[in-house]
Amino acid sequence: MTWSRAHIALCCLALLASAGSHPLLAAEPNVTAVLSNSETDVGQTVELQIQVNGASDPKPPSQISVDGLEFQTAGTSRQFQMHNFDVSSSITFSYMVTPTRAGHFTIPPLAIDAGGKTLRTPELTLNARDRSGRSSNTGRSQTNANVDPSQIGFIEMILPKSIAYVGEMIPVQIRVGINMRAPVESFGTGIQISGQGFTTQKMTQPRQTTETINGRSYTMFIVNTAISPARSGKLEIGPAEITPVVRVPRRGAQNPARQGAGGPFDDPFFNQFFNDPAFAPSVAKEVNMKSSPATLEVKPLPPKPPADFSGAVGNFTLKTEANPKKADVGDPITINATLTGRGNFDRVNAPALENDNGWHKYPPSDTFKQDDDVGISGAKSFETVVSANENKKELPPLVFSYFDPTKESYVTLKSDPIPLSITGGNTSSASPSASALAPAPSNAPSVAPAPAPKPVDDILPQLDDRTAVVQTFHPLYQQRTFWLAQLLPFFALAGFIIWKLQSARGNNRELKRIARLQQETSELQRKLRRNDNSAQEYLADAARAVQLKTALAKNLNANSVDADTAASAFHLDDAAQARLRRLFDRSAELRYSGGRNGDDTLSAEQRREILDLVENLRA
Amino acid sequence: MKFRTLTCALLALAAVSALHAETADNVAQANQEYQAEHFPEAAALYQKAIDAGTRNAAVFYDLGNAWFRAGDAGQAILNYERALALRPQHPEARANLHVARDKARALELRPQWWDEFIARITPNQFSIAAASVFWVLAFAVAAWLFAPRRAPLLLALALLSALVLGSLVAGLYALETGNNGRDLAIVIAAKTEARVATADSAGSVLVLPPGSEIRILSTRGDWIYAALPNDLRGWLPALSAQRVRL
Repeated sequence: MTWSRAHIALCCLALLASAGSHPLLAAEPNVTAVLSNSETDVGQTVELQIQVNGASDPKPPSQISVDGLEFQTAGTSRQFQMHNFDVSSSITFSYMVTPTRAGHFTIPPLAIDAGGKTLRTPELTLNARDRSGRSSNTGRSQTNANVDPSQIGFIEMILPKSIAYVGEMIPVQIRVGINMRAPVESFGTGIQISGQGFTTQKMTQPRQTTETINGRSYTMFIVNTAISPARSGKLEIGPAEITPVVRVPRRGAQNPARQGAGGPFDDPFFNQFFNDPAFAPSVAKEVNMKSSPATLEVKPLPPKPPADFSGAVGNFTLKTEANPKKADVGDPITINATLTGRGNFDRVNAPALENDNGWHKYPPSDTFKQDDDVGISGAKSFETVVSANENKKELPPLVFSYFDPTKESYVTLKSDPIPLSITGGNTSSASPSASALAPAPSNAPSVAPAPAPKPVDDILPQLDDRTAVVQTFHPLYQQRTFWLAQLLPFFALAGFIIWKLQSARGNNRELKRIARLQQETSELQRKLRRNDNSAQEYLADAARAVQLKTALAKNLNANSVDADTAASAFHLDDAAQARLRRLFDRSAELRYSGGRNGDDTLSAEQRREILDLVENLRA
Repeated sequence: MKFRTLTCALLALAAVSALHAETADNVAQANQEYQAEHFPEAAALYQKAIDAGTRNAAVFYDLGNAWFRAGDAGQAILNYERALALRPQHPEARANLHVARDKARALELRPQWWDEFIARITPNQFSIAAASVFWVLAFAVAAWLFAPRRAPLLLALALLSALVLGSLVAGLYALETGNNGRDLAIVIAAKTEARVATADSAGSVLVLPPGSEIRILSTRGDWIYAALPNDLRGWLPALSAQRVRL
């Protein structure tokens, strides 16, 4: 177990060491961008593909904006490739690009966030020709050259008014009717409203119904949106355009029922049956449908708007609330203001205090809850935190100005003052930040005349703190010295691990030595018990067994153990000590004299005594 | 050889001393100009000293004062912010920053909920704490691996260290990428409008008074895309704002 942990520790150490030397092993990510066609006609869509290679989770460009080009996201695809066990991946972001006017367009480098690194696409150019002379609506083989769009369906755009003001939100309903005998496969790039000088809100999801018009059944797709004129004058809105893919009968492959009158199948029922697209040979075709354009007379906003007018056009009501009602000077007070109504909420800013003297205002936050599906009706709530710099009895009125197209004039909403009780400060309007924190200037000359009272909003003076220390804006972790300093604990850790490894190895050697001594002791005791060797060998084995037992008991070198050492190690009594000394003496005598100078025999009783002596040695 | 090395060292020392003396002269001269109420000249001299390498909180604070007196609240706020970035506990810079903001009606980024917890700790403190806890974790793991028998205390210490280390790294990341992090910038140009696209004719998102805080998210050519006060985002000309951290 210890060894396996040690190996884990070594691996950790190696990983720790390698982590610092190889901060980046992955390949560098890169990006490419291509247009499916660099030349197109106005209204014709080309595909922009941005391919990011080698990045794990790239983010698509947040916004692509080129005047005269409309971009619509067409999806994301991911590809994986494996080569020699190296797996690489690429992500392709697709966009449909539609020019809304003729001209030479440049799509600027787009920033792609590839895992913290910003990549830039190459600059692309697109040449858009005028629509005249166009022969087909796309480059694909599916064209509507031989398909009459009026037979397939229609599109109409409904504007409720023809006169509006700049910035006013005008709801638009677009109705697309598709003949039920031409099933829709897809809506292609969706509905486009061409024209300039206005912005379009996001379109809602189509609502589907069925209608019968002039005896034909149509599947109706109803989409709502809103437009907002950006300039005054006469604007042409539309036409609204859509290019759905529908299934139509294949040309030249008419059903037998329709070939020649009077045949056996010339029956209205069979005509209907065999002409059903579900049974008839059919092909998918793109059909370009356009509505009639609408004209909008846009009036400019009247001159001299209120000072706090932020561009809001519509009709709004204001409701305010402030809490807490009692506070100390400097305490935060939250103002909740809600503007409810109908209009361009993206231009609705937080109502302002009519008189903000003595108040410190923090940036407000806002939430918008829309009542409709296009976001021109709802309630926008603002939460603003203010703090009073002095005693106050009320919160001043909040004001908000907008232009009302119905009244054709600017309207300023003004809330009622909210009673508050703010105490604890000076009655003067001194700024707390300046007054509370102002220390005495350290470099003020002692003989200088008394300074004139400074304005209440004045700053603190220059300091005499001329430290020559050069500071850096880079945090410690970005500095090399910080990482170099980590070498110290790193080496300490490495030393600790090496020390522990060596200790483990040393412990292992000691264990082996003990096992070897124990085994040798056991063998010697077995030999003594067998009692089948000579007196010289018997005495030598007994003395050696005593040495081994003493060495095991006291962790000594067995060869250095003599009779006295053994006697003291096992706390023997005098008689036993004497027997032990005699054993060692006789063993030495027989070993060095060869047994010829003394008695070289051992009686059975003597042998039993020696065996008892050896076996009873216990620490 | 030794003589040549000694000569080179002396020359380098002399050059450093001369540079230091020059920057000290610039600061002293700037102080004189400030006392004489020649504030733009003082600001230029402080800036010269900073460009020459004298970067410390005191000089940025003085430069902020000079710009405030010269009537440029955007530059004043930028330099107070720089002083605070170098020394967060700089009461004078903080006080003057409040005054300048009030005067310029500068907008501030909305604090994030974790700012309350981590704003008092500097990135350097986070770095030191994270490094210390990392090594405690490493030693605890090593000791646990070599312990002769199960050591629950060591294991608990390692787990606690890992938890604290994770929190510190997350805090450092939040601090560095948050509103007061490396991407904080200050609007210095007057009449700056954030727009919905990279064009002067694009729709306006927010009018930013000089001194307003923004957080730069990306740059594209001469435009920067930034998080704005009021939780908005928009494009503004790159020259209209400067990062606080140089």
